[in-house]
Amino acid sequence: MKNFILRFYIAIFASFSLGLSINAQTRTETFAITNARIVTVSGAAIEKGAVVVRNGLIEAVGANAKIPADARTIDGTGLTIYPGFIDANTSLGLAAAPAAPQRPVGQVGGGQLAAQTSQPQSNSNYPDGLQPEEYAAGKLKAGEAQFETNRNAGFTTVLTVSRDGVFNGQSAVINLAGDTVSQMIIRAPFAEHFSFTTLRNGQYPTSLLGTFSALRQMLLDAQRLQTLRQVYDKNPRGIKRPETDKSLDALLPILNREMPIVFNANTEIEIVRALDLAREFNLNAIISGGQEAWKVAGRLKAQNVPVLLSLNFPKRTAAASPEADAESLEVLRLRAEVPKTAAKLAQAGVKFAFQSGGMTSINDFLTNANKAVENGLSKDAAIRAMTLSAAEILGVGNRLGTIETGKIANLTVSRGDVFSKDKTITHVFVDGKLFEQKEKPKTTTPATGGTQPAATATVGGTYSITINIPGQPLEGTLSLTQQGEILSGSLQTQLGTTPIKDGKVTAEGFNFTTTVELGGSTFNLDVSGRVTGNQISGTMTTPQGAVAFSGTKTP
Amino acid sequence: MKKVTVFLLLISINLISLKLVSAQSKAEVLIRNATVLTAAKGTLENADILIKDGKIARIGKNLKASSNARTIDATGKFVTPGIIDCHSHTMMDAVNEFSYSVTSMTRIRDVLNPTDIAIYRALAGGVTAANLLHGSANAIGGQNSTVKFKYGKPIEDFVIPDAPPGIKFALGENPKRTNFNPTPGATPRYPRTRMGVMEVIRDAFVRAREYKKSWDDFRAKKTTVQPRRDLELEPLVEVLEGKRLVHAHGYRSDEHLNLMLLADEFGFKVATLQHALEAYKIAPEIAKRGTGASIFADSWSYKLEAYDSIPYNGYLLWKAGVVVSINSDSNERMRRLNVDAAKMMKYGGVPEEEALKMITLNAAKQLGIDRRTGSIEVGKDADIVIWNAHPFSVYSHAEMTMIEGEVYFDRQQDISKRAELARERETLEKMDINRPPGSGGTPPAIPKEKRQSHLDDADSDKDGGNRR
Repeated sequence: MKNFILRFYIAIFASFSLGLSINAQTRTETFAITNARIVTVSGAAIEKGAVVVRNGLIEAVGANAKIPADARTIDGTGLTIYPGFIDANTSLGLAAAPAAPQRPVGQVGGGQLAAQTSQPQSNSNYPDGLQPEEYAAGKLKAGEAQFETNRNAGFTTVLTVSRDGVFNGQSAVINLAGDTVSQMIIRAPFAEHFSFTTLRNGQYPTSLLGTFSALRQMLLDAQRLQTLRQVYDKNPRGIKRPETDKSLDALLPILNREMPIVFNANTEIEIVRALDLAREFNLNAIISGGQEAWKVAGRLKAQNVPVLLSLNFPKRTAAASPEADAESLEVLRLRAEVPKTAAKLAQAGVKFAFQSGGMTSINDFLTNANKAVENGLSKDAAIRAMTLSAAEILGVGNRLGTIETGKIANLTVSRGDVFSKDKTITHVFVDGKLFEQKEKPKTTTPATGGTQPAATATVGGTYSITINIPGQPLEGTLSLTQQGEILSGSLQTQLGTTPIKDGKVTAEGFNFTTTVELGGSTFNLDVSGRVTGNQISGTMTTPQGAVAFSGTKTP
Repeated sequence: MKKVTVFLLLISINLISLKLVSAQSKAEVLIRNATVLTAAKGTLENADILIKDGKIARIGKNLKASSNARTIDATGKFVTPGIIDCHSHTMMDAVNEFSYSVTSMTRIRDVLNPTDIAIYRALAGGVTAANLLHGSANAIGGQNSTVKFKYGKPIEDFVIPDAPPGIKFALGENPKRTNFNPTPGATPRYPRTRMGVMEVIRDAFVRAREYKKSWDDFRAKKTTVQPRRDLELEPLVEVLEGKRLVHAHGYRSDEHLNLMLLADEFGFKVATLQHALEAYKIAPEIAKRGTGASIFADSWSYKLEAYDSIPYNGYLLWKAGVVVSINSDSNERMRRLNVDAAKMMKYGGVPEEEALKMITLNAAKQLGIDRRTGSIEVGKDADIVIWNAHPFSVYSHAEMTMIEGEVYFDRQQDISKRAELARERETLEKMDINRPPGSGGTPPAIPKEKRQSHLDDADSDKDGGNRR
């Protein structure tokens, strides 16, 4: 009972704060949605029929499905039922990366590996970021309230994994409901995820060059460990015991093709590099991102590599400036080409699923899926890319992705075609649990159809700041441009000028990330702060620790 | 006829790019009536070159081609072999792996990016091949990649398959990080002195020798457990076995001499001394070992350790019998290596053909690709540049650059495509997706292209992994 009250409270609070009207009650009883259009995906759409949900599974589906006497019946007249939508790559449910360890300046390790692991957060032999054993399912937060926004947008299932490090770790496929982590998980681990990036803090690999050689050496070492272990297990006498290494162990399922490896790769050359690596080590590869995947569709098809295609289409974010150079033709072309990628992959016979790709608003998912349709993708293929194809690529096609008897009762119900602008997601079933969304009164629907923007602070302007690095304060200029909740601009110091990234304005202040280049290495800065009158203050967190900054607005 | 799409990008301040579809094939090409600077067998007046299957099939007068051959009238024009740049960092998404002093496990091949606009600009300067090297931040850097600039082709087509592998070494200020501040509070990376650099290299070869022995013992069945494959030491074993070319960045000749003595001790030959601006001091020692020198045509005394460099360095090395090449180490300089070669005639009077070899055949020799390219000789790859004037004239420019008989730069086509590209830009700019957002202020312009440092590469920190 207590639990129920707590859930009730959370749901109410969430709906209040998000400006959404969600029925607080979630039910797991037996349901029958009748008189609805059913997009089964497994076969032809049923123009008028019923879906019966019992005990978390689809019990019956069809034009003449028998409605059980004990079912709560929902009149589906004017509604369309889809298999629950799947977002094939997110970081949902995972806590943000822990803040960098606070180390006083002067005690940072040098380039050598021993120094890198001098403050272990794990007993791995490898530094943070090169630990493939990182296990997303082990870091999931319990509780379904955190997924409300995504469920409201029609999503029932996601792949989730960290985006940090060269190895992002092993992903989990989860349902967006359940009070415990155990209840959420559908499949974990699913795959190892890999980014063509570098470590911070001057640690090897500091460059893309080193990223490749580090990966190669680890894969070779894992192969060798496996071989040594086989010899040792047959007869250990007279042979030195092979070392236990949990990071290398985590690579064995990849090398043995028991687990796929997902390469985060958007550009043509990144995808080619991933395909080359997959060929070199005979890996079962998947591409995530894939914005230029159409340029290598032939190779993707030939190597049978599917794509988790990002719907986070590139947008122009910079306002017109009379002093700026014209944008390059490549950039202009890219923005025009990316929405066509899905259709081209479909045409080439490359398997793909849609993913949100870190988009700011999950409501852009369906909007951009529709753009893919406008650019030549069939609606059926678009639906498939967020249902059955996604389920198949994520290895759960026998349980999810279609409306068929015996499958998990994940359903997304909408009023109006799901690609139309005036659609409304009315009901979402996850594991047979109903999440009902009251249809918003038309009169108060915001023009954008999105959520009501929260009140945000006003922070735009140019500020002269002092960064209080102990013993060597650093002067700089912080230029902030605010567009609603989105913050752009740059940080200028004697170390150079860098653009700010992921800038957000909240009710209290602002935060963004940027980088500084020092001694030939690039360091990430996490910056947060607030503006009071013409005063600015806040904190910059570096791998070496946090420093305060403050300053004033320049008129 | 096979159609090949070549993406050409125009060299202009506006960075307008061109997309050129040109009908090409590996079929015959006949270049007629040119002044041919062969870089091997003198200058031929009113000569024809017949190209078949990407190779130079015949050179002579009044050659006949089959009826479907493409004939290019080169009357009044000059033809040279494609220029080869023996020291470049173009088309690389990363240059230096700063972390360790020995990064022989890194491979330039992994980070090649075939879309780099600098490739097209180099083609417009007559460059057809290059030695792509790791930067000079490490005593022993990464493995090189010897490529042809087949712009528009997939990356695997760029790599010259039979080029012997190489590796970058570096001596002096850059590997000891003289001019670069360590991260505040971080322990400075070892080594910090020139003697430390030598120690790091010696130590690496001692380790490589032991590593080689562990494998030799295993293969001879003296041991039973297969040794660990060590990607750091494997390329150094190849150096010891004479299978991998060492390209050693350095300025001071005492250091270059020290490295050659170390190589004598370990039984290998240094392939090239890179930069080597005062190598004239040790010209006989270089010549005796058959080591090459790849130098800048000028940049005298441009930094402290280059203080003793002189304009006559190239001439003195050549006179002592050293194989000399002139390199760019710069996307900008790469476009005018022909003028750099001409400087060798000015300072000391290197003969014209010998000066031309310094940007063609000699570089090919240093890279071990002279059997296939570097000069205009029958049987070699048709890597050819047609110039409007003598390439040693500052008024000359490349009119057409071909690799293995295929055209990768054509000035006339470049010009004729500009209007079409302007129209494409206009259309693209009108699309909603490309329009600037309506509200908000004006963020400061962020330069699209990172400024390229002029010469020397120890501070290059391009990182492809974090772009986009």
